[in-house]
Amino acid sequence: MSYQYTFGPAIDPITRLGWALGIVALSVVAIIAFLLIGGVFRRRAPSSQRLAESKDAGGVSWIYIGTGISSVVLIGCMVWTMIVTAAVSRPPGLPALTLQVTASQWWWSVRYLSPRPEDVFTTANEIHIPVGQPIRIELMSADVIHSFWIPQLAGKMDVIPGITNVTWLQADKPGVYRGQCAAFCGAQHAHMALFLIADTPRDFAAWREHQLTETPPDSLTEQGRQVFEAHCGVCHAVRGVVPAGVRGPDLTHLMTRRTLAAGLLPDQPGDLAAWIVNPQRFKPGALMPAQLLSGAELTAVTQWLSTLN
Amino acid sequence: MALTLATSWCQSLRSSPPDAAVSGAPANSVTGASFNFAPDDPPGEWHSQARDYANTRYSSLHLIDTGNAARLRIAWTFSDGTQGGHEAAPLIVGSTMYVVTPFPNILFALDLSKPGEPIKWTFKPNPSPAAKGKACCDTVNRGVAYVDGRLIYNLLDDHTVAVDAKTGKQLWRTKMGNLERGETMTMAPFVVGRKVLVGNSGGEMGTWGWIAALDIETGKEIWRAYSTGSDEQVRIGPDFKPFYDHMKGKDLGIKSWPEGMWKHGAGSVWAWISYDPKLNLIYHGTSNPSPRVPDQRPGDNLWTSTIFARDADTGMARWAYQTTPHDRWDYDGVNENILLDLPIKGHVRQALVHFDRNAYAYTIDRTSGEVLLAAPFAYQNWSSGIDLKTGMPMVVKEKEPHPDVKLSNVCPPDLGGKDWQPAAASPRTGLVYAAIFNLCMDVTDNKVGFIPSTPYDGMNIHRHAAPGGNLGEFMAWNPATATKVWSIKETYMTMSGVLATAGDLVFYGTADGWFRAVDARSGKILWSQKLGSGIIGQPVTYLGPDGHQYIAVEAGIGGAATIHADLIAHAGEDFPAGGNTLYVFSLGGDSQ
Amino acid sequence: MTFSKPIASLALFLFLNACGRDQGGSSTTAPAPSAPAAVPLGQIAGASGSIAALSTPNPYQDNPQAIEQGKQLFGRMNCAGCHAYGGGGNMGPDLTDTYWRYGGLPIQIYNSIFEGRPQGMPSWGKALPPDDIWKLVAYVQSLGGAVPVGEWDHARQGDRPGEYSAPEASGPQNTGPQK
Repeated sequence: MSYQYTFGPAIDPITRLGWALGIVALSVVAIIAFLLIGGVFRRRAPSSQRLAESKDAGGVSWIYIGTGISSVVLIGCMVWTMIVTAAVSRPPGLPALTLQVTASQWWWSVRYLSPRPEDVFTTANEIHIPVGQPIRIELMSADVIHSFWIPQLAGKMDVIPGITNVTWLQADKPGVYRGQCAAFCGAQHAHMALFLIADTPRDFAAWREHQLTETPPDSLTEQGRQVFEAHCGVCHAVRGVVPAGVRGPDLTHLMTRRTLAAGLLPDQPGDLAAWIVNPQRFKPGALMPAQLLSGAELTAVTQWLSTLN
Repeated sequence: MALTLATSWCQSLRSSPPDAAVSGAPANSVTGASFNFAPDDPPGEWHSQARDYANTRYSSLHLIDTGNAARLRIAWTFSDGTQGGHEAAPLIVGSTMYVVTPFPNILFALDLSKPGEPIKWTFKPNPSPAAKGKACCDTVNRGVAYVDGRLIYNLLDDHTVAVDAKTGKQLWRTKMGNLERGETMTMAPFVVGRKVLVGNSGGEMGTWGWIAALDIETGKEIWRAYSTGSDEQVRIGPDFKPFYDHMKGKDLGIKSWPEGMWKHGAGSVWAWISYDPKLNLIYHGTSNPSPRVPDQRPGDNLWTSTIFARDADTGMARWAYQTTPHDRWDYDGVNENILLDLPIKGHVRQALVHFDRNAYAYTIDRTSGEVLLAAPFAYQNWSSGIDLKTGMPMVVKEKEPHPDVKLSNVCPPDLGGKDWQPAAASPRTGLVYAAIFNLCMDVTDNKVGFIPSTPYDGMNIHRHAAPGGNLGEFMAWNPATATKVWSIKETYMTMSGVLATAGDLVFYGTADGWFRAVDARSGKILWSQKLGSGIIGQPVTYLGPDGHQYIAVEAGIGGAATIHADLIAHAGEDFPAGGNTLYVFSLGGDSQ
Repeated sequence: MTFSKPIASLALFLFLNACGRDQGGSSTTAPAPSAPAAVPLGQIAGASGSIAALSTPNPYQDNPQAIEQGKQLFGRMNCAGCHAYGGGGNMGPDLTDTYWRYGGLPIQIYNSIFEGRPQGMPSWGKALPPDDIWKLVAYVQSLGGAVPVGEWDHARQGDRPGEYSAPEASGPQNTGPQK
C-alpha cells in the first residue's frame, strides 16, 4: 500500500486522480446501494390501489437527475484524466540529466550521459538522481521485452528491443525508491528489481564525481584483482582494471550499492561470496555461470571486490 | 661494361626533361604544382617506399615512355616462397635489390649485377606466430627503409630490426610493443636524418596507438607520441596551434572520450609518413577509434582519424586536423599526405594532398592545417559536405550506425573510398594519381566488451559495389580544383600503389592481377599484363646495371582485398588465389 | 468420468516436468577445468586405433537453447571479431568448413578454446567455465563443419562419408603371404 504515496510530478497528478476516481467509484456504489436497498424496503401501496391509480408517479425526474449528475461527473473525470495525461507526458522543464537504461535478463545497465564526453560513465542496478529536477530516461532492451517501473515516481514504460522508449521522472523528496521490471521477461523476472536513490544536489554531485574515479591498484588485494581480471573481466567491467566486459553489470564502485543481483541480495561480502560461487542457487537461469574458483581465489576476489568503494 | 654504363647514364641525364624542383613547374602542367624531391636519391635507384620525403612516388626515369610502353615484357621474376598479401615495394640501392615478405618477414638481397639476379643473402628474423592471430587485415608488411648501409623494417610481432645491407646480419632489434595488447606492426619505417619513425597497428584491437622515433644506429627510442591521452602523452605543447576551434583545448585526448575509454581508443599509426625539410615537420595520420561501435564512445574521440604535423626532431605536435570526428564507420586518417606547392586562386600555397578513407580528397595548407579544398573523390553518402569554416563534416543522420540496427548502403564502407594504397604525383602534369574504390556496405553494429588481445570491433559488414557496379577505379586528380580529370573503371578492386614517371606514364595494378601502364595526361591504357595473382603492392622503377630501365611490382593478393569473400562481383569468374612473385619488366623483356 | 480429473492433473504434472528447462547450471560430464583430457591432435605413436577420450560428446549438442546461448557468447567474447559473424573466418580461420588445423571433434574444439593455440587464438579456460565453452562448441557444431564423434580417424585421413574405399586401404599391412 506504500505505493499509493507518491513523490514526484510524473505521478502525483495520477495519484490524485486515482484517489478521486476511487472516491467517485465508491460514492457511486454507495449511492446505488442506498437507492437499491431503499427501493427494496420501500413500502408500497397494495396492488389493487396501484392498478386503480395508474398515473405517473414522477419517477422520470429521477432518471433526468441521475443521468445529469452522472454525465457531469463522468465528463469532469474525463477532462481531468486528459489534463493529467498531458501533465505527466512531459517534464515541467528541461531535463537536468539524461540516463540510458538498458534492460537485460535480469538486470539493469545504467549509463549517465553528459554533453561532456569525459563525464559519461556506466553503472548497474542502482540509479542516483538529484531531487527536484526532471530526469529523462531512454530505455533500450538487450534481449526481450521488459518494463521500467518505479511506482512511487512514475508509471510503467515498456522496454522493447529495437525501439528506444523515452520516459521521465522527478523525485521531490530525497530517499530510496524501489523499482521493478513490470513485464514478464523470463524465469527470473520476479528478481529484476532496481533502486533509485534521490540525493540532494550536493550529494548527487559528489556521488557522480566519485563514480568517475577509477580503482587504484592496491598491493594487499593484488591477487584478488588478478583473479578478477582472469575470471571475471571478460563479462564485467571495473574502471581502472584492464578487461572491460559488457555481458554483465558494470561493477565499478560495487560496494556503494545497496544490493547485489538486481535487488536480490544485500551488498555484503558474505552474500557476495555466496553469489559468486553459485549464482544459480539464488537466481536459477541467470546468465552468470557458477564459478569454479579455489577457496583461496574466492577469498581473494571477494576481498578485492569489497574494496570497490 | 663501365663505358656502356657511363654512356647510358650521361644520356639519361642529358635528355632528362626539366623536372620541377622546388621552383617552377613545366608550362604544360595542368596545375602548376611543384615538388621538393629531397633527399634527392639517385634517379636510377629507389631507397624508400615513397621515393622521397614528399611521398611523390615519382621517378625522373623516362627511357620507358608513352611511345614505347606497349613493348614492356617480363624480364625476370622472383618468388619469395611465403603466403599472404604482398604490399611492399622492393628497394634498389646501387646494384642490389631488397625484397621483404609478409609474415615471416624474410628479407632478401638480390644481386642485380649478375645474370639471373641471384640471392646475395637472406635474413630470417623468425617473428612469433602468435602475431598472425592479431593482424586484422592479413599478415602484411608495407616495406623496408634504407639509410646509410642499413635496412630497417618492422616485424609483425612488434619488433623493429636493422640489417646490414652488405652482409645481411642483424645490427639491432628493438621491442616496440606487446602482442598481449593486441598490437602488431605492419608499416614501412620512415627515415628522417638520423632518426627512423615507426608506428603500430591495431585499430580493430583496442590498442593504444603511437608513433615513435628511434636512433638509426642503436635502435633506442628517442620519443614516442600516443594518439590518445593527455597532452603530454600525445606530445602536444605550447607550439601546438590547430587551425580549427574544436581541436583547441587541454587534454582533449582524454576529454573527448567517456571516462577511461581513451586507454584503448586506438588511433594507431600504420601507414605513411611524409616530411618537409624546410619546415622540419613530419606529417602522419592516425587510425579509427576503438571500438568500431560509435555509440559506446560518445565524443569526438581525439586524436583518432586525425592528420598530425609534428616537429621532426622532438615529435611535438604543431597542428592537427581530424578528418572524421567521432568516426562511426572506421574511416582511418592514415593515408599518405603528398606534399606540394600549389597555386590556388592565384596564390602559391604550401599544401598537402590527402585522399582520406572517408572518400574526401583534402588539399590542406601544410603550415597551418587549414583545409583549402575538400571534395569527394569516390561515391559517398555518409556526409553532405565539409564545412570549411569549422573543418567539420556534416553527417547524414540516416547513415549513423546504432547497435542492433541494420543499416543498408552506407558509402563508402570501412575500407573507405581509398585505403592505404598510396597515390603518386607527377610534376610534369601537376596531377595526383590514385587507385580508389567504388564500394558500399550494409552494416550492423553489435555492442562489444574490451578483452585484451581480442578484437574490440563489433561491426558486422557486408560490402558490395556502389552505383556503377565496378569495385575499383584508377583516376587522375587535380588538387588545385579538387576535381577528377580522368578515370578508368575496373571490375575488381584497385588496391595497388601507384608509380609516376617522367615518361609521362603512371602504373597501377588490379585485384584480379592486371598490371597497367597509362598515359598520365590522357588516361589511355597503353599496356596491360596479367600477372600470376592480384596486385596490392607498390610498383617502382630503377635503372639496372646494364642501363635498362625496369619496372618492378609484387603480385600476391591478400590484405584487406580478400577480407570478405562475398566481394566476388563478376558472375562466372572466380577471385584470384594468392601469390608471392616479384615481376620485373623492361622494354622487350631485355635484361642482362 | 470420476477418474478424469485426477488423471488430467497427473498428465498435466508429468507434462510440465517433462519440459526439461535448462537451468543454466546443470551438471555436465565436462572435463575438469584445470586438466583438459589428454586428447591427441595427431595419431598415437605405436598404438592402433583411437583412445576413449576422443569420443567425449558435447553434452549440449543439438540443444537449441545452448546453441543460442553459445551464439550470444560468440559475439560477446569477441569470437566474431576474429572468426566473423556467422563463423566464416577473417583474421581467424573459417569455422564453417571441414578443415580443422587442431581437430574438429567436439572435445578438440573444446580444447582449442580452453587452451588457446599458437597462432593467436587466446586461451579461455580461466575466463569461461566448462559449461560456457561447451555452449560455444555447440554453436560451432551447429555451423556444420565439425567432425562428428567417432569419425576422428576418418576425418584425420581426409575420408568422406559414403566414398568407395579400396580393400587394402585400411587394416593392418604386411601380414605376410596369404595361405
